Amino acid sequence: MDLDLIALNVEAEDPKSVIRELGTRMLAKNYVKDTYIDAVLERESKLPTGLDLGEFCVAIPHTNTEHVNISNFAIGILKNPVEFHSMSEPTKTLKIGLVFLLAVKDPASQVGLLGNLMKIFQNVELMKNIRNATTKKEVDDLLDFIQI
Amino acid sequence: MKRVNILSVCGSGTVTSSMVAGKLKEYLSDKGYHVETVEARPTEAMNLAQSGKFDLLTFTSPLPQGDYEIPVINAFACLTGIGEDEFLDEVTKVVEGLKK
Repeated sequence: MDLDLIALNVEAEDPKSVIRELGTRMLAKNYVKDTYIDAVLERESKLPTGLDLGEFCVAIPHTNTEHVNISNFAIGILKNPVEFHSMSEPTKTLKIGLVFLLAVKDPASQVGLLGNLMKIFQNVELMKNIRNATTKKEVDDLLDFIQI
Repeated sequence: MKRVNILSVCGSGTVTSSMVAGKLKEYLSDKGYHVETVEARPTEAMNLAQSGKFDLLTFTSPLPQGDYEIPVINAFACLTGIGEDEFLDEVTKVVEGLKK
């Protein structure tokens, strides 16, 4: 993983701050266009991306492919839980401790990446380990199996 | 090989709809089906569903109300893994019930 896209101990009040923090890192490395962050914020406000996995909740903000240059994703481990709205029940809020900001250029050719991301979300143990990681290297090692 | 056309719907028509499509392709091809998928946004869903080109619609984003004219299946379980078996069973039932 690009270690600059791993953010530990993120202090944020709301989804907007988290998305801006992670989005800025992606923009700095040119993975995404100028329009990306606003597009993600707008999408999140209409079609939220909080996933309730039972023991754990994760958010996967993202937007349409036209705002992306190169596919990648950023991880935010939040210092304190932030409330995102649920994807399946948008009026419901979930306390989120881990955020994956996704930028996908061409879904059809990224079936592998998307499949691997799905595996992460379905592995509560792995997500707990990521959440408890204290160094970027640790997170990187945990996600070794992902090919962008 | 029996063909199945699935319309997978999510907010941006890219990420979660592709995840579900990928999973269904894998699962159904093990059962001997050839699966074609199209990913779309909720605003495009009704038109596409009523086009007659698809056998069923799966969604990971709230859908606008209306008669889609084909079976509509909630695919959140596929994303989260919770209740995924039931979801796959439901899809299998629909697919096996298709007249071809």
